Amino acid sequence: MNWKKHVLEGNPFNDYFIFDVHGHIGKHKRIELLDSDAENLVASMDRLGVDKIAVSSFLSFTGDWVAGNQITEQAAKRFPGRVLGYASPDPFDEECDLSPYFESDRGFCGIKIHGLEQGGTPMNDRRYFPAYELANRLELPVLFHAWLPHEVAQVVDVARQFPRAIIIMGHAGLTAFASKEEAISACKKYDNVYLDTAISETYDGSLEYIVSKVGADRILYGSDFGTFECTQTLGKLALSKLTDTEKEKILGINARNLFKL
Amino acid sequence: MIEFLDAKCMIGRRLQYRENAPKTNEDFLELMDRCNISHAITFHSVAKEEAISLGNQLLLDETKDNKRFLRQWCLPIKFHPAEFISEMKQNDVTSVRMFPDTFWYVLENNPTSGIMSILGECRIPVFMDADELKADAVYQLCTKYHENTFILTHPDYGNSSKYYSLMEDCGNLFLGTSNFLDHNGIKYFSKKFGADRLVFESGLPIGSACAAVSLVCYADISVEEKQLIASENMKRLLSEVNL
Repeated sequence: MNWKKHVLEGNPFNDYFIFDVHGHIGKHKRIELLDSDAENLVASMDRLGVDKIAVSSFLSFTGDWVAGNQITEQAAKRFPGRVLGYASPDPFDEECDLSPYFESDRGFCGIKIHGLEQGGTPMNDRRYFPAYELANRLELPVLFHAWLPHEVAQVVDVARQFPRAIIIMGHAGLTAFASKEEAISACKKYDNVYLDTAISETYDGSLEYIVSKVGADRILYGSDFGTFECTQTLGKLALSKLTDTEKEKILGINARNLFKL
Repeated sequence: MIEFLDAKCMIGRRLQYRENAPKTNEDFLELMDRCNISHAITFHSVAKEEAISLGNQLLLDETKDNKRFLRQWCLPIKFHPAEFISEMKQNDVTSVRMFPDTFWYVLENNPTSGIMSILGECRIPVFMDADELKADAVYQLCTKYHENTFILTHPDYGNSSKYYSLMEDCGNLFLGTSNFLDHNGIKYFSKKFGADRLVFESGLPIGSACAAVSLVCYADISVEEKQLIASENMKRLLSEVNL
């Protein structure tokens, strides 16, 4: 595969299985997003050759968890097999129970936690534990917003306490050197920790560095699609110095195995 | 394949440590080859992060062996405009960048008062990062110095439509793409203003050249529009420089 030619001609990635584990749909309270509904997301996936995406609606973790999870469910039902849903809990609602979302085929594949948006609640707070216990029992993926060092540390604490849950550190702690090193340490220490590639701005060489430390098996392709254009992370991975096998694993093979698809 | 001309590249040794990040000019050139970037408009990190005049001098020293780095000087705080332009000409410097916030320029006086008119006469593009000045200040500059070409690099992520009103009001304003990340942002911007108001920028070494070229290559616009953004717009602006 001539990745340079492929990307620089803007060719779709139809020959590869691509599973984006980090997407969003719906409106955001601060960022005026364009085309962030499920229909436009899938249209872009078709154009680019992305097979599947796992999404959470912004509303599910910024405001109304019931209405937000319903938006996610509707998207998953509208595009079965293409769009999978993350359900989000409300840490302040004692009635919140995510288990019904996983009792029948409602299109949910895991849980999304964004402590910063969820009232600044630390992600290792006990108010999230019912969701983590569910993930631990069902061996579900839990996607975390793990941007800064203290967020990575919170996620590590969850990984330690819930070893059967599949812990995905969104953004791989990439924004600061210290958080990246902590994310790498977490992968080495806990078998249930994985990192995703979603990041709005990062430098060339960072992905190769992380793969050299933890191996390609622990990295998942994630883009923050809906918020951001997924092509930046896709192209960055495609044009990296990683081997074809490493790229294929990250693009989708790892996620397919983890999500039991 | 789409060929690129990078509108924002910063060379030079920096204190900030980033494991496996591009550091040397050879690293930059390897990345440029990988991403089909023929040339890069380049300033020096010391000019931005330490001392402007020293950085401008280091740029000359460190780019003397490679014409793929198109020299860009940062506007000093105190200088004689005519002498500055003369030195630019002597040293084949074809654009300038300013940091009103970092170096606390008073925009109505130095350095913009005398220099802007001369830069306009010479058609020398003026670059500035979006986080260096407020929208009001961009508007004031663009309308007061309407003969000049201004390029706003590194726009705020995630919300390209916030720049629409500025682009409508300021026909001499261009926008860089390095942080132009919102879904279909390039498509809608091009529909509204035409692809000739965008210029490709990598933001190296802080930004990723691989990610930046991919944003353009996979934008939902025509190949012709992609090529305009990738290099043709910037080539045209540079071709107008008359030193």
